Amino acid sequence: MYNLLFFITLIAVGYLAGTFAERYHYRSIHLREKMFINLPAVTMKTVDYPDDKIKSAELVYGSAVISIDYFKRFTASLRNIFGGTVKSYESLIDRARREALLRMKEMAGDSRMIVNVRIETSTIGRNANKKGVGCLEAIAYGTALTLA
Amino acid sequence: MIITNIETVPGKNIVEHFGLVSGSTIRAKHVGRDIMAGLKNLVGGELKGYTQLLQESRQQALDRMVDQARQLGANAIVNVRFSTSSVAQGAAELYVYGTAVRIE
Amino acid sequence: MKYTPRLPKSNVNVTPTSMLREFFVLTLSLLAIVIVIYILLGFAVDLIVPRISTDLETKMSELFIRSVDAEDIDSEWRGYVQSLVEDLQKRCTKLPYPFKVHVREASSVNALAFPGGHIIVFTGLLGKITSENELAFAFAHEMGHYANRDHLRGVGRAFVFITISTFLFGTDSNISQMLAHALNITELSFSRKQETRADAFALDILNCAYGNVAGATDFLKRLPKEQDPGTIGHYFASHPENLKRISDLNKIIRDKGFKPAGKKPLPKIVQQ
Repeated sequence: MYNLLFFITLIAVGYLAGTFAERYHYRSIHLREKMFINLPAVTMKTVDYPDDKIKSAELVYGSAVISIDYFKRFTASLRNIFGGTVKSYESLIDRARREALLRMKEMAGDSRMIVNVRIETSTIGRNANKKGVGCLEAIAYGTALTLA
Repeated sequence: MIITNIETVPGKNIVEHFGLVSGSTIRAKHVGRDIMAGLKNLVGGELKGYTQLLQESRQQALDRMVDQARQLGANAIVNVRFSTSSVAQGAAELYVYGTAVRIE
Repeated sequence: MKYTPRLPKSNVNVTPTSMLREFFVLTLSLLAIVIVIYILLGFAVDLIVPRISTDLETKMSELFIRSVDAEDIDSEWRGYVQSLVEDLQKRCTKLPYPFKVHVREASSVNALAFPGGHIIVFTGLLGKITSENELAFAFAHEMGHYANRDHLRGVGRAFVFITISTFLFGTDSNISQMLAHALNITELSFSRKQETRADAFALDILNCAYGNVAGATDFLKRLPKEQDPGTIGHYFASHPENLKRISDLNKIIRDKGFKPAGKKPLPKIVQQ
């Protein structure tokens, strides 16, 4: 019985803390996305600036590791039985990726544009712990172009 | 919506771009499919259930990306890339991203 | 190619449903499935259990009982309870089990019936006994479980569930844990009927062995109110509330006209 109570507490704490952290993070993401709205990141390799106008080109990257709360992890493992869209992981990955992109843009400083952007995700720490800790890294990288 | 994975849309001019757009979806297979796949692993061959599941998911990811591009006012997405990763045991994430552009 | 800065109006990559709703829908469907399997297993167990021969049961239990043997303590109790159980079996039952009593050091006031005729009794229970009749009643009660083969029903169901959950979820322990909790609760209410039947069986044996049923309710009356829920056995947690049990016992005693007096003291060796 105590175990059950303990479990319910974990779920409740996970839900409350997780929701709070997520809301806070999204607010920060929205704010910074507005800040960097004039620095486009594109997947294209070619630009239509003449070569002599480009002052420098430099690799920029950003990454973020985000973990999932107990509540969402539990919901996801339930989802594993029935199949279908794992909704509880969606916001986790979305946040990780947008955070990585924002950090890349922060690194780009006063560049005009970031080209040939690539985004990758990987789970980390899963092999160390067979229980499948919901820990995820997103990395974004590209070439920042600064105009003369 | 025109989607390509080259730099341009041949025969059209890119007049403006809106930056990165992306779509993602995470799908878990249900237990029944797992068991069938386990049996299939004995003899090898295509896991039709999984192929179909991943196809559906990839389509959903594409739809989401297109949806986002539409919200920005684009009518084409160029230089699209797919990536697949497993986020949790038994769940796969399908991710697709590209550059939203307007062509004429 | 100019750049038009715009932000999307909505987040397409996150499904706009409440996580709480997802959680409850999933949990409830899982519970529904578990309950259906549980009921089906009940039928299956009723079909299978009578067909398992005592011989097969004994052989299967050998595998895991070895680890139990190692934990047995050596005390004066051991020989005494073993001969008591054998005596009861020979004189008053036709149970085909090779009963073996294991005495284990634990404060839990409990006795358990394991497959293959292995009865485990904790020193916590032995310490609270004041007469031989009381002890005989406790063992006769466990024999009642063997007679009805309750021990196989409980073990069989738990075994199937553990197998299924490890097969499906493997290393993911969250779900298995939740299942275990759900199982424990239902197991409690399920075994009440079996306990009452075992009690009735025990009264018959007691009357046969001693010519009276003295001491049958003594032990229950003396039990402290704050029973710890125990670890594996739930000897008393899962037994009907003590008062109800006592009144049930008294009713049977009256109906069958058993004599309620004539206690036999414990032998000197085990009195400390």
